[in-house]
Amino acid sequence: MQASRARLFKEYKEVQREKTADPDIQLVCDDSNIFKWTALIKGPSETPYEGGVFQLAFSVPEHYPLQPPQVRFLTKIFHPNVHFKTGEICLDILKTAWSPAWTLQSVCRAIIALMAHPEPDSPLNCDSGNLLRSGDVRGYQSMARMYTRLAAMPKKG
Amino acid sequence: MDSEDDRSIHDDNDIESLDDDFYMDNYSDYDEDAADVAEGDSNPVESRRTEQSFTVLKESDIRQRQEDDISRLADFLSISHVAASLLLRHYNWSVNKVNDAWFADEGEVRRTVGLLEKPVYENPADADEITCGICFDAYPLSEIETASCGHPFCFSCWGGYIGTSISDGPGCLMLRCPEPGCKAAVDQNMINLVASGEDKEKYDRYLLRSYIEDNKKTKWCPAPGCEHAVNFDAGIRKNYDVSCLCSYSFCWNCTEEAHRPVDCDTVSKWILKNSAESENTNWILAYTKPCPKCKKPIEKNQGCSHMTCKSPCHYQFCWLCLGPWKEHNGACNRYEADKQNETEKIKERAKKSIERYTHYYERWASNQSSREKALADLQKMQSVDIDMIRASQDLPESQVKFITEAWLQIVECRRVLKWTYAYGYYLPENEHTKKQLFEYLQGEAESGLERLHQCAEQEIQVFLRDINVAPSADDVRPSKEFIDFRSKLAGLTIVTRDYFENLVRALENGLCDVEALENGLSDVEELALENGLSNVEALENGLSDVDDNGIITDDHWFCEQCTFANVVSATACRMCNQQRPWSQES
Repeated sequence: MQASRARLFKEYKEVQREKTADPDIQLVCDDSNIFKWTALIKGPSETPYEGGVFQLAFSVPEHYPLQPPQVRFLTKIFHPNVHFKTGEICLDILKTAWSPAWTLQSVCRAIIALMAHPEPDSPLNCDSGNLLRSGDVRGYQSMARMYTRLAAMPKKG
Repeated sequence: MDSEDDRSIHDDNDIESLDDDFYMDNYSDYDEDAADVAEGDSNPVESRRTEQSFTVLKESDIRQRQEDDISRLADFLSISHVAASLLLRHYNWSVNKVNDAWFADEGEVRRTVGLLEKPVYENPADADEITCGICFDAYPLSEIETASCGHPFCFSCWGGYIGTSISDGPGCLMLRCPEPGCKAAVDQNMINLVASGEDKEKYDRYLLRSYIEDNKKTKWCPAPGCEHAVNFDAGIRKNYDVSCLCSYSFCWNCTEEAHRPVDCDTVSKWILKNSAESENTNWILAYTKPCPKCKKPIEKNQGCSHMTCKSPCHYQFCWLCLGPWKEHNGACNRYEADKQNETEKIKERAKKSIERYTHYYERWASNQSSREKALADLQKMQSVDIDMIRASQDLPESQVKFITEAWLQIVECRRVLKWTYAYGYYLPENEHTKKQLFEYLQGEAESGLERLHQCAEQEIQVFLRDINVAPSADDVRPSKEFIDFRSKLAGLTIVTRDYFENLVRALENGLCDVEALENGLSDVEELALENGLSNVEALENGLSDVDDNGIITDDHWFCEQCTFANVVSATACRMCNQQRPWSQES
């Protein structure tokens, strides 16, 4: 518990210091609980998520960083590796390939990379995965873009 | 010509089986007194194993072999012991594979396994303190440890990282540096340096298990609680049956219990069948009718004959004639001979098939339980009865061994007999001659075994009952009755053993002798006699073998027909009146 708290505190300080370093990621710690974090990430350019801002919720376990944090999308997103209803993310570094040298910041970077490079062969969102697997890139992109517009962009007017 | 050859092969096998018996003696010794054998008789045991193409490994043997392999490789490649261990683990403990890969492309092997020759990360030379890559705290150099790559982490973070990995399971044997993307292996030196005692033990256990589980030539004995492993060299003989020191025998190929003469495929089919899943299908066939349109099975449990199939089919038909309801004029009572329904036939067949299966299954299961009972009896025999008999008959241990042998034989025969029922079930129905021969051989085997079982179970009782009568000084010990019993039981054991061995061989050949024969049962009988019952030579060999041990004296002969041990003076068998095969003078 103490080790995880110390480590999270270091990450917190690092985030404060580097606030401008990565304009795509904005990590915020919960005011009263250092084990709860939220992040706002920008949809990567040249993807159907471009222009959207997606919110992630982090829940950090007691044995962090020996165990990976739990992350899910709060913003609705149409992506093969993200559960459409719960926002759960299927990403190896959050499961078996986790290393304690990863940080919350680097997890955000990995998720942005996943948005740009979906893995349709291990889908959590089967509809989305099937579109890509059957080669219907246009279908996938327009669905993803529609949901980005509906859920991840400020409403106009 | 062919049959001549066959005979000679059989003779060879008979001799071999007697050899087996010789080692069998050592084998039962082994069970009783393992320590004794480990020193004194290890050679015969080993040679028997070699001949049988498998070796049973105890934990100490496994460690020894693993250690030998690692040391050999370390010497050969001039690398450290832990590096050799990592290499072998990656190449499933095959020294040859490591050598081949290493000499083909050492650099590639080093990369995949994670054996770096020099660090890929250099700490700033002038720094007094280094930041740990996990907790981000700064530590003096002495509290920082690195794998071969040089990425710095503090002791406590290493401990947590390794501890987590070890409690996650055997994956810890392939642990890499925590730095993302770094492939450097975390070797046993690091484990020993930072892991707790309990974790080290676990790691050690995983390493040992890996040597058996990842090695294509070894498997754990599947018996519950047994910690031995079996090393198997696939030789020329396609006999996968192995028996562990714990006395469990199993098929090395499929790790089901030993199942000669039936092959692995048949066994898995049979086991699947017994799991009742496929019997459901037959039940459906027998007690339901398929919808005439969508073919879904329908069980009618109430209501009238006007059936409407479930959504989405909605087909309406008459339950009795299966004709469409629209054309049905309310009755289908008129008998039309041609319209004998195809489905009725299928139902009939399915019912028969269930009955047939039940027949074989009952017998299979009953032999299974007989075998378990026999095993229990054998244990009781070994722990209690034999000592009583030894005491009352005043005999050394070696002279009552025949009882244990008889029981071991019974256990083995029950196992074979059990599997012959699976064999019989899968024997094609249309191969009539084969079926007849098979049933004949099986019947003979069954009655032969019953005879042996009866003798070992019942006739021994006399000697157990008399135990309380204090032997008087002038009693002849061992008593004449006991000598008779001994020769009968030993004889029956040998005859039964040979019969079953021939049976197994014949079944494994797919009863191919049948193809050579076309004259029906008379020849079949002759063949059966040749295969099974003409073991007089073997029996005589067996007897002389026993003679050397002093168990049977010259004053008995065994009836060829019923195996009864007759006194030498009798010219015909006391049991069945069969003539003695030789005259008194010769």
